[in-house]
Amino acid sequence: MIEQIMKSYKPLIAIPVIITLIAIAIIAFNGLEQGIELEGGTITTLNLERPVDQFQLESMVERGLNTEVTVNSFNGTTAILTMDGATDSIAFSNLMNGTATIERFSSIGPALSAQALNQVYWALAIAFMFMSITVFIIFRNFVPSMAVILAGMSDLIIAVGGMSLLGIPLTLASVGALLLLIGYSVDTDILLATRVLKHRGGTVTERALSTMKTGLTMAAASIGSMVALYIVTVFFIPAAEALSDIAAVLIIGLSSDILATWLMNLGILRWYMERGGR
Amino acid sequence: MVHGAWWKMSNITDFLKDYRVILLIVIVIGSLATIFAYGVPQGLDLRGGSIIQIQLEQPVDPDTMNTVTAILDRRLDAFGVIDISVRGSGNQNVIVEIAGVRPEEVVDIIGTPGKFEAKIENETVLTGADIVRVDPIEVVGNEGRVPFIVNLEGAQRFAEAAEGKAGTPVNMYLDDRLVTSPILDEGVTAGRPVTDVQITIPGESRADAEEQARDTQIFLQSGSLPVKVEIVGINSVSAELGDQFVNGALIAGLLTLIVVSVIIFIRYRKPVLVIPIVLTSIAELILILGIASVIRQNIDLPAIAGIIAAIGTGVDDQIVITDEVLKGNKSEKNKRSRTMLKIRIKEAFFIIFAAAATLLAAMLPLAYVGFQRGHTGIGILSGFAFTTIIGILVGIFITRPVYAKFIENFIAKEE
Repeated sequence: MIEQIMKSYKPLIAIPVIITLIAIAIIAFNGLEQGIELEGGTITTLNLERPVDQFQLESMVERGLNTEVTVNSFNGTTAILTMDGATDSIAFSNLMNGTATIERFSSIGPALSAQALNQVYWALAIAFMFMSITVFIIFRNFVPSMAVILAGMSDLIIAVGGMSLLGIPLTLASVGALLLLIGYSVDTDILLATRVLKHRGGTVTERALSTMKTGLTMAAASIGSMVALYIVTVFFIPAAEALSDIAAVLIIGLSSDILATWLMNLGILRWYMERGGR
Repeated sequence: MVHGAWWKMSNITDFLKDYRVILLIVIVIGSLATIFAYGVPQGLDLRGGSIIQIQLEQPVDPDTMNTVTAILDRRLDAFGVIDISVRGSGNQNVIVEIAGVRPEEVVDIIGTPGKFEAKIENETVLTGADIVRVDPIEVVGNEGRVPFIVNLEGAQRFAEAAEGKAGTPVNMYLDDRLVTSPILDEGVTAGRPVTDVQITIPGESRADAEEQARDTQIFLQSGSLPVKVEIVGINSVSAELGDQFVNGALIAGLLTLIVVSVIIFIRYRKPVLVIPIVLTSIAELILILGIASVIRQNIDLPAIAGIIAAIGTGVDDQIVITDEVLKGNKSEKNKRSRTMLKIRIKEAFFIIFAAAATLLAAMLPLAYVGFQRGHTGIGILSGFAFTTIIGILVGIFITRPVYAKFIENFIAKEE
């Protein structure tokens, strides 16, 4: 089957392209949730001291603080709540007195979140630009460099699309994951371009196949470790959303990179080689 | 394949004699010693504590920023908040860190203006509201001088109370705590209202006088910060939750290592390959923590994610090296030679350096913001950028060469 894929590679380029376009559509229609650091708001982890149920707690906080409350997780002893806007920590602490101890309280006002959001866009744009420049310096060859950069862009867009689809909010942590993804997901693309462009060790197809073995092992190791991280954080430390967000974004991004690298990047490279490119 | 041949004694001694291997061992031992001696500084989310982020009404110059942080520091100190750190971030933000999980206390103190009172014989003669401006301090010889300007009303009250009382102390209170008691000198006890006042403090030395003058200046300014402040963010984590995070991260790290080992084993069917990959991962963890310990970089949750990511890229690199070497063994059975092997490893390193370069490039903006601004906005991720960058550098310059040497010595010779 792999030989078949290798023969008719051109139409296969369309698959990651279509998925990327779908991701753009999802982002456009579904939007992207923003975490409290970027939108402003409050998140708190409570250790319940007396038996209350989720709805009692929710209405108690809603009435007490006169704000919109969402219960993110609740298991009878621990609860994670998010509240709209910057919450008065003194009022909240008084309200929770006797009901729960506050294990974590994080409140971000609009001034800070607006500033952070601005930094996020800049950081992503500059990171992508720096990565692209680095790729051009490495290959000094337009088509292969563009193939790598396009694969990186497709990974980034699909990762953001996946966040939109699965409701993973854009937080500072998930932005960190996206930045990492920009630099990390192109690793297999660099591997592929280096190996395929070298005129040594068999035909283009043979070189591509042996490289695919390496690349897929790399993908398996990195996705596997992120799945492990995700599972541990979700089940053992639900309050560490930072870690589960990072893991989730990398799982989506690195998975989409398998398609982007072996269907799109490889396709473009073969096309280029066939047309006499060096 | 000859089983068991990989651990031939000559191979092991040859491996251990390599300067890269020796270097790695020395650095690992050094890192461990540093970690045990000085510990690894933990971020707020791991050790528990609170961070309060304050925004100034408008951007200020570094001098004003220093005044603002000094005043806030003194006020919190005066209220008995222990273990505080107040520092500026950029030109418009101040970050207050406290050990406890009661940010309410700090919010309360910062939220209300400081109450400054000067009393002569228990009569309040000046309050913060009377102080119009505090000028820069002067030190002449062993004497510190704090000139400040009060409004006419205050000056009048002061003049009446101070009349004929040269030598009496003026007790100055900040938030009802006595902070300093300069003595009235003759210039201000004549009964004439003076708006241009100066507190003179004799010190034991020039430095002492300067410090006392500065303290007094701060107290006088406490009532009115030079710029309006607003609390824009609060972040607090209990020590218990912090412990949970540490334990969770350890479990995650262990599980990650197991998953990677299993994948390596499935792919290569060589248990011997799992050993260097696990050892390299542990060595990288130790080196990253060792460097964090030396330069006092806080390790927080994002930093832990960065460590896992850096070690993950390390495993990827090791797969690249392994495959280059194994592929060489298969396709060049006849002309297999040490030079071919060297060329293959060199090629693997080209890919590794290129991959590292793109990752470093992508991390630069984050590192820059973290370095420039500290813990505000996206700077919260500075730990993430730090561990990723250090991990990558440690990898490509220290641990990867050792892994290549291992493969060269034990795996390439095996077949």
